[in-house]
Amino acid sequence: MKRRNFIKGFCAASAVAATMTPSILLAKDAPKNANVLTIDAAMSAITGGKAVTDSAKVSLTVPEIAENGAVVPVKVHVESPMTEADYVKAIHVLASKNGNARCADVMLTPLNAKGYFATRVKLGGTQDVVALVELSDGSFLRAAKPVKVTIGGCG
Amino acid sequence: MAEARKSMIKFKPKKFKVGDTIKVDFIVIHPMETGTKKDKKTGNIKPAHYIDSITFSLDGKPFTTMKVWETVSTNPYFSVNMKVPGKGKVTVDYTDNTGEKNTKSKKLKPKG
Repeated sequence: MKRRNFIKGFCAASAVAATMTPSILLAKDAPKNANVLTIDAAMSAITGGKAVTDSAKVSLTVPEIAENGAVVPVKVHVESPMTEADYVKAIHVLASKNGNARCADVMLTPLNAKGYFATRVKLGGTQDVVALVELSDGSFLRAAKPVKVTIGGCG
Repeated sequence: MAEARKSMIKFKPKKFKVGDTIKVDFIVIHPMETGTKKDKKTGNIKPAHYIDSITFSLDGKPFTTMKVWETVSTNPYFSVNMKVPGKGKVTVDYTDNTGEKNTKSKKLKPKG
């Protein structure tokens, strides 16, 4: 009974959230003095300037078209044995044109058994979602996919 | 005292054995305010209020951590996997940018 009520409440809250504008500024629309973190700066900060390889081992699933930029599902799956010797250390989810390009990072361990992470993000407008993956050997992989956002920005 | 937040840990599938890899989903009711939106009534900007850090532990040992920004959707959802080593307790500790700390636990009960 408790769980049913929780889900009811959650669905109601999410339905309200889904009809609201995402209130996410795009980097280009941010006011002059705003703290904008562009994707290039964010990626540099993460990789320390190390080479990043676009890799088919990184499966990034996002909708081609998001009717609502407030709730865009993102799934990342990295092919990896996830053993102590070879595992996915981190998956960084970024948005190429948001005022803050960073969305969420997950730091995994072998107990996770799969290089998998899913979440839902806000996109201020049409842009790429980027999955930047750090492996245990220190190398970086990348996958990016465009998402067309029909309702985005600050309304 | 920290405000109690509604959250839920879900294991998928619900029935699993030792050695199975399951999904561990975590959902929490949280406004995830970006700090760029105006309150329509007052005209003031609503201050940023979002979950910024999450730690998943098994019997007190962290196995997954997350850094989260205001760009994650309201009432955020997060999903990772876990190979079930045996009976135990999964705990999710999370904090937001105001320093509010919360925790949620769920018993891991593999069948066989």
